[in-house]
Amino acid sequence: MISELLSKLFGGVWETVRGGVSPRTARNLRKEFRNSLLAKLGVVLVVAAILVAAFAPVLAPHDPTTQNLDGSSLPPLGFSKETTQTSSEMVNGSIEVVNETVYVEADPNHPLGTDSLGRDMLSRAIYGARTSLMVGFLGTAIAALVGVTVGLAAGYYGGRVDDALMRSADVMLAFPSLVLAVALVGLFGKVSIPVPDPLVALGVESGMPDSFVLPGTVILVVGLVNWVWFARVARGEALSIQSEEYVKAARSVGASDGFIIRKHVLPNSVTPILVLATIQIAAIILLESSLSFLGFSGTTLSWGFDIAQGRDYLATSWWISTIPGIAIVLTVIGINLVGDWLRDALDPGIEGEGGGP
Amino acid sequence: MSGDETSHARDASPAISDADEDARNLLRVRDLSTRFFTEEGQVNAVESVDFDVRDGEVFGIVGESGSGKSVTALSIGDLVESPGRVTSGEVWYRNADLAEEIDDPEAVDGDFVDVRQVPENVRRSLRGPSFSMIFQDPMSSLNPSLTVGEQIAEAVEVQRRARANPRSTRSRTQGYGLADMLASTVLPSRSYVSEESRERAIELLEQVGIPDPADRADEYPHQFSGGMLQRAMIAQALAGEPDLLIADEPTTALDVTIQAQILDLLRDLQDETGMSIVMITHNLGVIARMCDRVGVMYAGEIVERGQLADVFDDPVHPYTQGLLGSIPDLDEPASRLQPIEGNVPDLYDHEMGDRCYFADRCPYAMEECLSHPPEFDTETGKPVDPKTDPGEHGARCVLANHEFRPEDALPEEYFAVESEDSSGSDREAAETEEVNTDD
Amino acid sequence: MSMGRFLLRRLLQGVFVIWGVVTVVFLLRFVTPGDPITFIAPLDAPPEVRQNIARELGLNKPLYVQYGEYLFNLVQGDMGYSYINSTPARQRIFNRLPATLELAVAASIVAVVISIPLGVISATRRHEPADYAATTFSLVGISTPNFWLGIMLVLVLAVGLGLFPTSRRAIGFLPAIEMLLTDLDPGGLVTWLWHITLPAITLGTYFTALITRLTRSGMLDELGKTYVRASRAKGLPETLVRYKHVLRNTLIPVITVLGLQLGTLIGGAVITEAVFNWPGLGTLVINAINDRDWVLIQGSLVVIGAGFVIVNIAVDAMYAYINPQVRSE
Repeated sequence: MISELLSKLFGGVWETVRGGVSPRTARNLRKEFRNSLLAKLGVVLVVAAILVAAFAPVLAPHDPTTQNLDGSSLPPLGFSKETTQTSSEMVNGSIEVVNETVYVEADPNHPLGTDSLGRDMLSRAIYGARTSLMVGFLGTAIAALVGVTVGLAAGYYGGRVDDALMRSADVMLAFPSLVLAVALVGLFGKVSIPVPDPLVALGVESGMPDSFVLPGTVILVVGLVNWVWFARVARGEALSIQSEEYVKAARSVGASDGFIIRKHVLPNSVTPILVLATIQIAAIILLESSLSFLGFSGTTLSWGFDIAQGRDYLATSWWISTIPGIAIVLTVIGINLVGDWLRDALDPGIEGEGGGP
Repeated sequence: MSGDETSHARDASPAISDADEDARNLLRVRDLSTRFFTEEGQVNAVESVDFDVRDGEVFGIVGESGSGKSVTALSIGDLVESPGRVTSGEVWYRNADLAEEIDDPEAVDGDFVDVRQVPENVRRSLRGPSFSMIFQDPMSSLNPSLTVGEQIAEAVEVQRRARANPRSTRSRTQGYGLADMLASTVLPSRSYVSEESRERAIELLEQVGIPDPADRADEYPHQFSGGMLQRAMIAQALAGEPDLLIADEPTTALDVTIQAQILDLLRDLQDETGMSIVMITHNLGVIARMCDRVGVMYAGEIVERGQLADVFDDPVHPYTQGLLGSIPDLDEPASRLQPIEGNVPDLYDHEMGDRCYFADRCPYAMEECLSHPPEFDTETGKPVDPKTDPGEHGARCVLANHEFRPEDALPEEYFAVESEDSSGSDREAAETEEVNTDD
Repeated sequence: MSMGRFLLRRLLQGVFVIWGVVTVVFLLRFVTPGDPITFIAPLDAPPEVRQNIARELGLNKPLYVQYGEYLFNLVQGDMGYSYINSTPARQRIFNRLPATLELAVAASIVAVVISIPLGVISATRRHEPADYAATTFSLVGISTPNFWLGIMLVLVLAVGLGLFPTSRRAIGFLPAIEMLLTDLDPGGLVTWLWHITLPAITLGTYFTALITRLTRSGMLDELGKTYVRASRAKGLPETLVRYKHVLRNTLIPVITVLGLQLGTLIGGAVITEAVFNWPGLGTLVINAINDRDWVLIQGSLVVIGAGFVIVNIAVDAMYAYINPQVRSE
């Protein structure tokens, strides 16, 4: 019975998405993709990020959480680090302090170097993709679910419902999403949800963390602070479709509200919501990294967290902050390029972008 | 009313010599070609078009959408935008003063100047006082965030400022820099437009029949009705006192009753000012009502041209016949409209080739239509030299030379394949009906 | 509708939103886990002491009374007393406000001054090297987390080349101006500029990139419209077409999006302050949250929310000024 319910629910979502992507839309997407180098680059970057996140245990050379203080702050391949090593030795009964400049060479076992606790940067960057993408996708899903529901209700019913929902959206918007997210995570506490890693559980790869920590509060919060964008778009679509003749006709023959929303309003809203969702994934990944950077996250395996860690070692070990940042930029560029591709191909007519970093 | 009622530029008999002919021509367009360089390939929107525009006449260009008639209009006005470009051809414009100024002997022929060969700043200086244009949709042809009066006054002001040194682009903004432009959004005193030009704008609004012109001048385009806006557009186009007004589907977006008013207004203004008009439309009724001479466009080419009466009463090209066949005959209301079957080709260069482009849809298509492009011939069967006189009735069709020979007709299979090819695209099917006949 | 009535309506809406903000902020305390007294009273405080604190703070009164008192005090400008910091919340918040405002304004100026010309160049020289450079910059700019950008700027320009200080605001803008006017000493202003440069770039880059993108795409949209063709046909020189007609219309959607993105600017300021140890409202909020200093949390959230609403009304006024259709609707 539950499976039936689930299949009905997800079948419905799938039907809706498929209904919204007409053959002409698909043709536009293909045409735009063929003609745009940037769209191809975006898809390559996004697919790469997803694969890296999915197969992190296989791809990572080391356990990203294993510390090794003997091999800490190793530079990436091709770089070396100059440090002053202080040693003291007994010379003729007195202690003499010797300052000696040593060159720390890169270790081929750690191609991107190690952080201040000797953890492998490459492995951490690979695992960081999981956190970013999980938060990005799940957070966007929550935001879309809440926002689309509210927006459709507001646009479809209009009047008081619309006023109430949209004024509360205004109040929502008055709180900058980062400030609100920091407040909510800080006040409600960080909830970490360990999820068993299937690749490790199945024995495909050993020596890696056997569970993956989902920052639960963060996912919920980034979803809840970003629903307003979806509500605005869904409301606009619902308002414009409402006045179409075929919707009026459906209503006049006694179709229920639920039926009209499912059959007419939702499918027509798919395109703009899809484009907005893409932009929002990028925005939420940036928001997650900001939260992690500020220490408001439930996981320590995050690009933002690593950037914060590296801040204290900027003068000596520049790579600790630099590498995870590059990973964020590449991922977000990829998603933004895919968003541009969708927008150029589908032309949903939504303004600008949703919340940024 | 038909074109016959206008007195000027009427009796074009072959006896007139070249010099006389030229004296009455304002514009000689020769071999004009415009291409669009799109990602899907090169589109030959306008292909070797020749025609003349006489002083004070209305020359009509008629064709389906996609036939290249609007691009022809933009090409004359040098308003083709990227990815399009006028790739070849000459646009000879009679202006003795200008001919005096131009040093390049190549670009001057008597009083005529080839505007395609003059420097860009000179070409631009012709916009307004020489050529002016009105467009199909008046709502989008005016800037929504400036008042109507301001926009017309601008057109006056730019000519006022240019008077001192007409050929210099800079003279039009002399003493009015970027800072002034930005400041003018806040400070009305820094406006580009002088009080004198504003007054002239109100006069122009009055001239085109807008009631309370002084009040309406301060309103924004969205406060105007479609017909009033088109009048305002015409006022704006008249601001530079042009020799030639190019009207691109000026009535298409308007109600039928308003259409008639606008056409009457154009006629009246033409009588007052003596300007020439190039009237571009898909509406044969507009052509019949307005034009002295007419060119029929198909697939980027002018396929038939001549005096209105000649072309309408005795069409040579099967395409023209088809167009006219689709005019509803009021005397026989029972007969059904007869649309031309098939679609205008996409005009991609690689699909065009050396043949008559209408052959696919032509009921008289013969083998020879596919092998070599037909010359622009007259009824008499003698090729006409477009350099000397394209004024006679002529058609770009083999039927101008000889009768249809059923034994040479293209086999049925030829059409079958073609129509199957085009049935895939739903979009064009609707456009086939574009040539309409309502007035 | 006249401009005045339009603004009045927006103002009333703004008041309503601020009231919503205040209410949400007030309720936040009651829906979050944890007893606020725990963070004020010493860990080993006996129950009587806790009760005393609760009474003093009015925490034992019914919710609606507390709400009423809170609103009443707030209207009079009283944001409560921060026991954790032993200062009135208002004083602490308004001490920090100038630093945040300076940062936000400097970043906005940087953004607008760079982005609009860049977007215009990009749109008018489409498919030329300048356009490719501008689009690449804006793509990277909207994809870069600003805190990381700040760290990279510090790494290269401050730590590496020593051109700028690594952190901290040394002098306020007003004191610096005062110094210039009274002592004729521009040193304060120079120091101010020197310290604010990196934070302003950090905060401003995302907006520079965003506005560049919006300006470019908006201008390309506008340039394709018929009225541009008509303006050229009537003989207007290209500069007038571009800067009198097109740019103005391009800015209409840009302004709308900017209004919506204001929250991002404030959020960005919070994190930029964290990177540069900038003593503004952002660092104050974060510390207050970590300390569970409710009076400060509420006070600063209300100030941020109210600031957002006020600036948004200003943006709307600008929008209405530039777009006649809004005024006459």
